[in-house]
Amino acid sequence: MADDGWRIWQCGICGDLYDEAAGMPDQGIPPGTRLEDLPDTWICPMCGSPKGVFIPYEG
Amino acid sequence: MDNLKIPVDLVAPIFSPAAYGNRDKIHEIFTTLRRDYPLSIAEVPGFDPHWIVTKYDDLREITRQDDKFLSSVRSKTLVSQAAEAFIRDFTGGTPNVFKTLVNMDEPEHTDYRNVTAQHFMPQSVATLEPLIRKIAKRYADKLASMAPACDFAWDLGFHYPLEVIMTIIGVPEEDHAMMLRLTQWVFNYTDPELGRPGADPSDLSEVAKTWMIAFLEFKDYYDRMVEDRLACPREDIATVLAHGKVNGCPMENVALISYFAIASTAGHDTTAASTSMAMWKLAEDPTLLERLQENPKLIPGFVEEAIRWATPIQIFVRSAAEDYVLRGRQIKKGDLLYLSYVSANRDEDIFDEPFAFKPERSPNRHVGFGYGGHICLGQHLGRMEMRIFWEEVIPRLKSVEMAGEGRMAQAETVSGPKHVPIRFEMT
Ligand code: HEM
Repeated sequence: MADDGWRIWQCGICGDLYDEAAGMPDQGIPPGTRLEDLPDTWICPMCGSPKGVFIPYEG
Repeated sequence: MDNLKIPVDLVAPIFSPAAYGNRDKIHEIFTTLRRDYPLSIAEVPGFDPHWIVTKYDDLREITRQDDKFLSSVRSKTLVSQAAEAFIRDFTGGTPNVFKTLVNMDEPEHTDYRNVTAQHFMPQSVATLEPLIRKIAKRYADKLASMAPACDFAWDLGFHYPLEVIMTIIGVPEEDHAMMLRLTQWVFNYTDPELGRPGADPSDLSEVAKTWMIAFLEFKDYYDRMVEDRLACPREDIATVLAHGKVNGCPMENVALISYFAIASTAGHDTTAASTSMAMWKLAEDPTLLERLQENPKLIPGFVEEAIRWATPIQIFVRSAAEDYVLRGRQIKKGDLLYLSYVSANRDEDIFDEPFAFKPERSPNRHVGFGYGGHICLGQHLGRMEMRIFWEEVIPRLKSVEMAGEGRMAQAETVSGPKHVPIRFEMT
């Protein structure tokens, strides 16, 4: 998918990444799902922090 | 509800630092507790009542809700009533001698964590790889020079992670031994070999006394370092901390010294414990070395499993901010919860064959680094140090076996192997 608008986010607590283009298919989140469209109950798979702590990734 | 209270005879050892020197016995108790008393109350003389949290899911449910299960209003480490009174006396009313990230609640915790958080993210830690590899190569050579026998934990395990973190903080080499001694006093305050000379293991307030002495030593040392870095900034964590601001102001002194202190203690003792445990497992099972040599890609899994197996941080205590129902139990506001990371990392409902050491375990979502907002700040550094060390050592190790009995330090909060005598060949 050549949509450059997808972003990568980083958990500000544990450093885990959420890549919107890739989604998280093993968690039922299809590729191309924006962070803001994840349910509010979604938590970081590594540390359990809420999605509000994710910040844009500057690798 | 049944089994609400745990018989004192069964549960008393998990309140004793000395009992943690025998991990097999501790595991035996927690295996019984997970089965018969997964979330029940311990009323051990000298201590306030504690809920004993033995299950992985419960530990994660608690630690991801920092607003409901607090870290700052009671001692975060396990202390007797006498020790807590002693500490409140010393601090003028607060329940913790140190005010580290571990002992903070929101919003203060995040404000302080953000002072260094970027420096410990995976992308920042990755830039340290060349420096750490240089140190690891030197320690691999040192190990080879000690063949055919050494006490791995004592001669090497304690020292490699110490050198890494001290270099990153900016502590000069001549002071590393002093930092190791202070760390061992703090974490192993009742251990006859590692504790503070003059410490009295039979005194329930010993933890408070030792921690006060250590705090004052750290303060004396790091106040001077802060002054130096304010005058002459360098490329080190000491400079980041000295110049660090919280809400636009310098950090308060107790919190600043405690920030240095946690990095100078938890920043190496935990990694040392996991590294020495990894060698212990290699020495016990010759097929492990073969598997790692045949497939070096297993090294990260070996590191992860060593951390699960060692679980160097064994207990933290939280207090409930409000009434809460967990596993059908009614927790009341103000209740204390004893979180057993050791037990959670052997939970049969989560880990297949929890008492088997398997680098191939995948996923391996252990709670060795904790969970939730307080999850280990140094987890990426700790993992990387260990991976690099084993990448340097495994290809050169021709054989290894135990040459005597391995021994754990006697400590309830942070502990690991203090003696791992090995016989080995290395190129
Ligand atoms: C294998 C090595 C390590 C293990 C097993 C480990 C374990 C842990 C655990 C379980 C916690 C959670 C504390 C809580 O829930 O309150 C923690 C926190 C922490 N660790 Fe580590 N740690 C390791 C290495 C390191 C290293 C290398 C550093 C270096 C700076 C470090 C610094 C910290 C700090 C500053 C915290 C407090 C975080 C907070 O409360 O926000 N640790 N560690």
